[in-house]
Amino acid sequence: MLSPAEIAWLIPLLPLFGAIASGLGLIGFNQRINRLKKPVAIVLLTCVGASAVLSFAVLFEQIFNPHTVEHLFVWASAGDFTLPMGYVVDSLGAVMLALVTTIALLVMVYSHGYMSHDKGYVRFFTYLALFSSSMLGLIISPNLLEIYVFWELVGMCSYLLVGFWYDRDGAAHAAQKAFVVNRVGDFGLLLGILGLFWATGTFDFRGIAIGLSDAISLGSVPEWAALGLCFLVFLGPMAKSAQFPLHVWLPDAMEGPTPISALIHAATMVAAGVFLVARLEPLYSQFPLINLLIAIFGTITCFLGASIALTQMDLKKGLAYSTVSQLGYMMLAMGCGAPIAGMFHLVTHAFFKAMLFLGSGSVIHAMEEVVGHEPVLAQDMRLMGGLRKKMPITSSTFLIGCVAISGIPPLAGFWSKDEILGQAFNTFPILWIVGFLTAGMTAFYMFRLYFLTFEGEFRGHNEDLKINLLASAGKEKDEEDFHGSGSIHESSWSMTVPLIVLAVPSILIGFLGAPWNSSFAKLLSMEEASKMASEFTWSGFLPLAFASVLISCAGISVAYFAYYSKKIDLHSMVVKKFPTINTFFAKKWYLDEINEKLFVRGSRKLAREVLEVDAKVVDGVVNLTGLLTLGSGEGLKYFETGRAQFYALIIFGGVIALVALFGVLGN
Amino acid sequence: MFDFVPVSLGAIIPGQVPDPISLDFPWLTLSILFPIGGSLLVPFFPDEGEGKQVRWYALGIALITFLITVGAYLKGYDPSQEGLQLSERIEWLPDLGLTWSVGADGLSMPLILLTSFITALAVLAAWPVSFKPKLFFFLILAMDGGQIAVFAVQDMLLFFLAWELELLPVYLLLAIWGGKKRQYAATKFIIYTAGSSLFILLAGLAMGFFGGGAPNFEFTHLANQNFGTGFQLLCYGGLLIAFGVKLPIVPLHTWLPDAHGEATAPVHMLLAGILLKMGGYALLRFNAQLLPAAHAQFAPLLIVLGVVNIIYAALTSFAQRNLKRKIAYSSISHMGFVLIGIGSFSSLGTSGAMLQMISHGLIGASLFFLVGATYDRTHTLQLNEMGGVGQKMRIMFALWTVCSLASLALPGMSGFVSELMVFAGLVTDEVYTLPFRIVIAGLAAIGVILTPIYLLSMLREIFFGKENTELLAKRELVDAEPREIYIIASLLVPIIGIGLYPRIMTETYTASIDGLVARDKLAVERIVNTSESKNYDKTFLPSTSSAPKLNIYSSSGY
Repeated sequence: MLSPAEIAWLIPLLPLFGAIASGLGLIGFNQRINRLKKPVAIVLLTCVGASAVLSFAVLFEQIFNPHTVEHLFVWASAGDFTLPMGYVVDSLGAVMLALVTTIALLVMVYSHGYMSHDKGYVRFFTYLALFSSSMLGLIISPNLLEIYVFWELVGMCSYLLVGFWYDRDGAAHAAQKAFVVNRVGDFGLLLGILGLFWATGTFDFRGIAIGLSDAISLGSVPEWAALGLCFLVFLGPMAKSAQFPLHVWLPDAMEGPTPISALIHAATMVAAGVFLVARLEPLYSQFPLINLLIAIFGTITCFLGASIALTQMDLKKGLAYSTVSQLGYMMLAMGCGAPIAGMFHLVTHAFFKAMLFLGSGSVIHAMEEVVGHEPVLAQDMRLMGGLRKKMPITSSTFLIGCVAISGIPPLAGFWSKDEILGQAFNTFPILWIVGFLTAGMTAFYMFRLYFLTFEGEFRGHNEDLKINLLASAGKEKDEEDFHGSGSIHESSWSMTVPLIVLAVPSILIGFLGAPWNSSFAKLLSMEEASKMASEFTWSGFLPLAFASVLISCAGISVAYFAYYSKKIDLHSMVVKKFPTINTFFAKKWYLDEINEKLFVRGSRKLAREVLEVDAKVVDGVVNLTGLLTLGSGEGLKYFETGRAQFYALIIFGGVIALVALFGVLGN
Repeated sequence: MFDFVPVSLGAIIPGQVPDPISLDFPWLTLSILFPIGGSLLVPFFPDEGEGKQVRWYALGIALITFLITVGAYLKGYDPSQEGLQLSERIEWLPDLGLTWSVGADGLSMPLILLTSFITALAVLAAWPVSFKPKLFFFLILAMDGGQIAVFAVQDMLLFFLAWELELLPVYLLLAIWGGKKRQYAATKFIIYTAGSSLFILLAGLAMGFFGGGAPNFEFTHLANQNFGTGFQLLCYGGLLIAFGVKLPIVPLHTWLPDAHGEATAPVHMLLAGILLKMGGYALLRFNAQLLPAAHAQFAPLLIVLGVVNIIYAALTSFAQRNLKRKIAYSSISHMGFVLIGIGSFSSLGTSGAMLQMISHGLIGASLFFLVGATYDRTHTLQLNEMGGVGQKMRIMFALWTVCSLASLALPGMSGFVSELMVFAGLVTDEVYTLPFRIVIAGLAAIGVILTPIYLLSMLREIFFGKENTELLAKRELVDAEPREIYIIASLLVPIIGIGLYPRIMTETYTASIDGLVARDKLAVERIVNTSESKNYDKTFLPSTSSAPKLNIYSSSGY
């Protein structure tokens, strides 16, 4: 029988064919295809479903027999340069394939409910299939250049999906910002890839690592250049995985439909950066300095995300900053030289964060029935509250997600986060302190979200508050927009089933990574797993685990007393005492302002000045010299009256005359 | 009637261009004369004045021309040959040295195909032209033949004639069917191009008469002449100005936004799709192929100018509020990669330059066509007066998005491959010093950030956001019609095809480019060996011992 890994190239191709078919249909027979909602959805679901089946087959094959399958063909060549493309399947890729197809499938089922009344339903599913295809292609890429290709393609899908509701100004700006900020990272990635190609003559992951160490020992590549190249490559993951300071696009990207936030901006695409760093582990492990930098960026991001999440009032933005923070943890793990811990957190986080986002989508969907489709109202937690009784499935799965991300055993987040903190404690103790404090903040802000949304009294009918919120967002109330029934109710089955399905791994998957017997580590690397198991001691594990559980519980308690029982008034206790810090967090560390002033306006100003120079100076000078060569004012008149072809005729005539002259002389 | 030159296969003397290979069927002459002949019959074609009949005739001629060029490619062209093929020679005025000599090698063949392909689509794009349609289609068809001639002729004087001949139709097309400032734009165009082409004539005459004896202007003859370095530098400088205007190279570019800003969509497609490529082609054909010693000296300048092109034009494009001028500046920016590739002394980089020309020909034509189609509906090109158009024109929005993504070098489309090849060619190029390469690659890569900024801002301002009520009140926005979708689809097929599997295009010209680059490298080597010129020798390795390390990983294992 054909081994699943041998036909793994089908995994990205199946969704691609689906996307192409419905995309062409949309262009060719727009209205007819738009009416065929269900058939299109079923076809595309089948494509992604088939990929999922194949991915799990590949995963099981890897579990029983870990090996690497690689197939290449020459894609481009010139001179003595050849560029192979193809696919590779190994255990790391197999894990990601299974993860991405699972979440993509669930998100598609969920979208059937979430987008059912949207007029862009078919377009949405087409984009989803296209994204799944690009993301799966990225995972099975055998070399850096192919990664770059799919890296850009997932970025494009993100652009299309963030800007999905293109009649909204916010979405338009967010989509563009996401693409451009990612291009800043890609700028580094591209230069880094080219530089590594110059240094080693290959794009292959292992080839680069070996080639670079050889080149350094031979002296053909200086050490500083190697460090610079490694850092340039890291700029790519920095943008894609929303690491400080290139994280600014991710919170804005929440303008896209919520299923997208779950799939792309929480579970899969943003994890691509972490995945790439894991792929490049053989390269980065040679340079402790780069690892330290990665760890530092990860830690800053982790703290920054959590600190901003403390003050967010928008449910989705709160989750977005939480994602930023968790991606910081993953990078921290990578920097500590523990890619397995980072990858494990990536997997657990993908499940519970996708569930949390889908849960928030379910909440927003319900809120839209009361407050209308304006995101400023539908996503603001000040208008929510008391939703638990009306939405039991959503609220209980959301609670599971909160417990999981806070790191309470035995749920998934505990195992993966604790593993990272343990690694950090052993490698960079100072960074561990920050990560440890952030764990407490995480628990606090997550339960703050939970209590504000699901507990207390429902505040959605407070008209004054609505008007205030709209005014502060600079928008006006749009009466026509409102089609809701006016009451909150639980979402349809297609939205709740994915939530329930995702709750299972959010609770259970952590056990796969128990540090004394990690089946996850065994899958990725047998050596690492046995090393982990042999180094494991209860006396080393328990104090750290106990400390992190303790700080999480502290965070949860503060949230409980502040937002549920209302025994602590955080506003008077903290906000009034430290107004600067609060505004600093609430203003998102002023990074958006700096970005706007320095880069957006700066580049516009520069561009306008260049254009001014172009119109006045360059055009002026060249025009003048052009005129001078023409000589007299007599000639000028010809051109101004529009008979400049005269000039061309002179030259043309000159040549003909020359030809004639020679012809005569020759005879 | 035709000279049969013995075919020299096998050993090629280094530094010498291989002998031309001729064929018993005059494919190229036919592809030049057929559209011109067809255009001459346009006045006699019955038409009721609206152009409804003559446009079918024009389309037929353009399609047959395309088929002839495809036939030439399939029947008479062997991509593995380095030298001229499909060669035809007829002594015309032997005393003057004027010979009707046409042929195609890897530099010409892709561009000949591109010309006939884009022209056929431009005729289809000109479907709505109802003002003086006969004259319009006459000029388009005449231009078709003229442009194929520019790429196919193998004689310097003929080249000059073809180059000049092609100016007239463009001038008239601009001056009669253009926008409000068409007179100014057309005049500027003709002053720039005709003025600069004086240099071609001067350089051509000088080269043809070089060495005394009977003048001979044929490229094969000129390529094997031993011009002195000083002479080469003079000719090179003159030609660089002439072709620099056409490409265009900043600061000789200011005719282009005016001309492109005023042209109608079909003319626009031709301008961006083919005319700009004449500059790049000529730089390769003359400057790099005929004057290798001077090229060795001038190449760093080309690279620097290329970087200036990329960044400068990207910035001006960003600031432009007029849609056509915005895209026009973006063309200039993309041509910067052609310059870098030509100056790179690596087959990879030069192949990239060639591919960038083809790719931009397709992408530029598609974008300019879309600009025209949008203008037909909105009757404005000012971005301020648009906005939210995407809600009424959804298919148009989709087409715009795909073409813009192609233009910003999204992987999977041709622009990405060509830019990547130029980049990779530049950084692995051992001729230049490491710091120079680092700086140039870093600066050129800034274009990678700037391009999406201006293109996506443009999309956002046209299509995204709330609908512009003022515009809706005045105009009815109808979505794309099948003809328009068909034109864009025809352009996207090769764009995506090349993007997915670039070898379908690169294989047609690699042999010629390899030969060209090898000769240019020899010239560099000579400079390094004879004089102790400090410009290149730091990292240059003689070809025998050149960079053995480089290929360890790329050649083994696969």
